[in-house]
Amino acid sequence: MTRWLLGILGVLGVILASAGIAGRAEIGLADFERVLSAIPVTASARALTALDRALRQEGFPATDVQRLFERLLATSAAAPDKEAVVLTIVAALEDDIPVDGLLNKAFEGLARGVSLGPLYQLLQQRLRILVEVRYLLFGKSIFRVSAGTTTSAGASALPAGRFDALLSQLGDAVGDYLESGGSPHDGQSIYQNTSARLTNLRGSVLVPADVDLVLGRVGPEDLTRVVLAALN
Amino acid sequence: MNTDPLEALLREALRQEVSSLAGSLGGLEERIAEELADRAPRRGWIDGLKQLAAPTRAARLGQVAVVAATAAAFLIVGAIVGKDLPLVGSRPKAESREAMLRATAENELLFVLPALHAEDVSVVGSFNDWEPTPLSDEDGDGIWTARVTVPPGRYEYAFVIDGRWWGQDPLADEYVRSFGEYSSVRYVGGGGDGV
Repeated sequence: MTRWLLGILGVLGVILASAGIAGRAEIGLADFERVLSAIPVTASARALTALDRALRQEGFPATDVQRLFERLLATSAAAPDKEAVVLTIVAALEDDIPVDGLLNKAFEGLARGVSLGPLYQLLQQRLRILVEVRYLLFGKSIFRVSAGTTTSAGASALPAGRFDALLSQLGDAVGDYLESGGSPHDGQSIYQNTSARLTNLRGSVLVPADVDLVLGRVGPEDLTRVVLAALN
Repeated sequence: MNTDPLEALLREALRQEVSSLAGSLGGLEERIAEELADRAPRRGWIDGLKQLAAPTRAARLGQVAVVAATAAAFLIVGAIVGKDLPLVGSRPKAESREAMLRATAENELLFVLPALHAEDVSVVGSFNDWEPTPLSDEDGDGIWTARVTVPPGRYEYAFVIDGRWWGQDPLADEYVRSFGEYSSVRYVGGGGDGV
């Protein structure tokens, strides 16, 4: 009986050890350090601090971030231009802004052969929009909270993943509207585009109650203010 | 019976799709063939492609017509097949939108692109970090296809045809302009009560 137990424990140990090795095979700080020094990024200490913090957070797309840095490294652009893009992502991480949309735009821009200058400008605008959208959500008493945190009456506390998904989609919708040539002064159109995006994602990447919450509290005038603040 | 190139290509592509689902779709292939045969003649696909590259106002109207005609063809099929075939038209109505959501319940993006004389076709998008995923045309009929399994979400993409980007897929749910060019967008999944 004891031999059986020892055998089972041994097998479990092997499985756990394998899982540990596999886990370490994922992207780690050393991988970021290697690519940042190769670019090279002069503010690497700042970048690594932000990345180290991000690696400990659930949902951080480490593989995509690493892949973006690798692609930047492979481009023939000047190192300061590459660093500007890197630090845009770093700034988002430092401010707890979800980076999925920024990464997607960066990947697309690189694939389309866009110069890093215009790409940086666009990423900066997207980041400003995300920041302003987050202020808007906070102003509407929609907060990002950790498990177990209590909030005041009337406030809606969403788990970090759900809040980030909302913020990311709202920011992307506003950013896409502007990039598609939409007027920053046409709040009704901004709202319609944003509302359509959230509705289409209702039940897939967004929780229906969260979509209802945002659409119930955010109006066209709010989104106009977001756009104008981001552009100024 | 109309036998213009687009008709033939669509019929063949649909025949292959339906054949792959034949076990659960008794008599469907015949119904689709009848539906396509009954449609009015349309402008040839080659002419449509020529107009896509033309800069005049009339050509732009033609471009819209080509896109609309192709979308209409797939909408007809979508209306017949309903939930069982993941083909939808551009900006679908509510009911066809629902059909699409059911069709994509398995989280699959199906790309279908007629490109008669192309030698290399791929799709780039937010689902593959904008790195090319090749489309295949194994039987050489000019219909290039690819299937990609993805999590539920919103996906931007563009086709790359012999090195040239083309971002206005008639099967897209919507288009966005990105870096001054069009990208297509498709939504996958949705309609549930949670994430």
